Amino acid sequence: MDISTVLNSNRINLKLDVSNKEEVLNSMVDMLFKEEVITSKENFIKDVYFRETEGATGIGDGIAIPHGKSSSVLKTSLAVARTIHPIEWETLDDKPVRFIILFAVRDVDKTTVHVKLLGEIAEKLADENIVNQLLTSNDASEIITIFSSDKEEEFS
Amino acid sequence: MNIVGIAACTSGIAHTYIAKEKLLRAGKALGHTIHIETQGTIGTENELTKKDIAEADVVIIAADIKVGGKDRFQGKKIVEIPTSIAIKSPKGILNKIAADLGCS
Repeated sequence: MDISTVLNSNRINLKLDVSNKEEVLNSMVDMLFKEEVITSKENFIKDVYFRETEGATGIGDGIAIPHGKSSSVLKTSLAVARTIHPIEWETLDDKPVRFIILFAVRDVDKTTVHVKLLGEIAEKLADENIVNQLLTSNDASEIITIFSSDKEEEFS
Repeated sequence: MNIVGIAACTSGIAHTYIAKEKLLRAGKALGHTIHIETQGTIGTENELTKKDIAEADVVIIAADIKVGGKDRFQGKKIVEIPTSIAIKSPKGILNKIAADLGCS
């Protein structure tokens, strides 16, 4: 599957040197803003925090999937970061996170194609092997390849 | 066991699909037949067939919101859990259901 419409290497940072959740989100929102994915950092981050209040976005095994459905999003997209230090986060296994995927979703997406892609990427996080690769790969293009890989037959 | 289910989360973007995939993987690993419908922001996908439902021993609703079409499961044993349980311990919940139904 072609995920180039939702993620490119400019929005992947595998050596994010920050110490808390707020700094993670700020850095990732910066990546989205620089790439003109969102019109307002303040509004988008507000929508991300609103979603955080509805339940844990740390899904366990060091992975977090914060997301904002927001009128500030121009183009449904992703940003990816891996932090140098473990980050305290609300998680299902009460462990800190290292790998964060920020989902920016248009309030009204005219086509469902991009939202569907995000769902397919989320699905991959159910695979332990993929999670291990995400936690160890040091190459942004490899991360894109991992997310682009087609589904295994038996689960299609 | 024959299992059917629905996954649905608050924003219908990510957790829904992780929960679905975790349940499918756990179900297959434990030797069950499992079909999971997703009700996400883009609508219903992998809609359960009448046959899937008729053959099911149990219905798992992994949802943080109200799901649609529950009337399809009349007379079936229904287990309702939040998506977080499906994501965190999919095998645990399936084993518990199997034990409760006496088919472990």
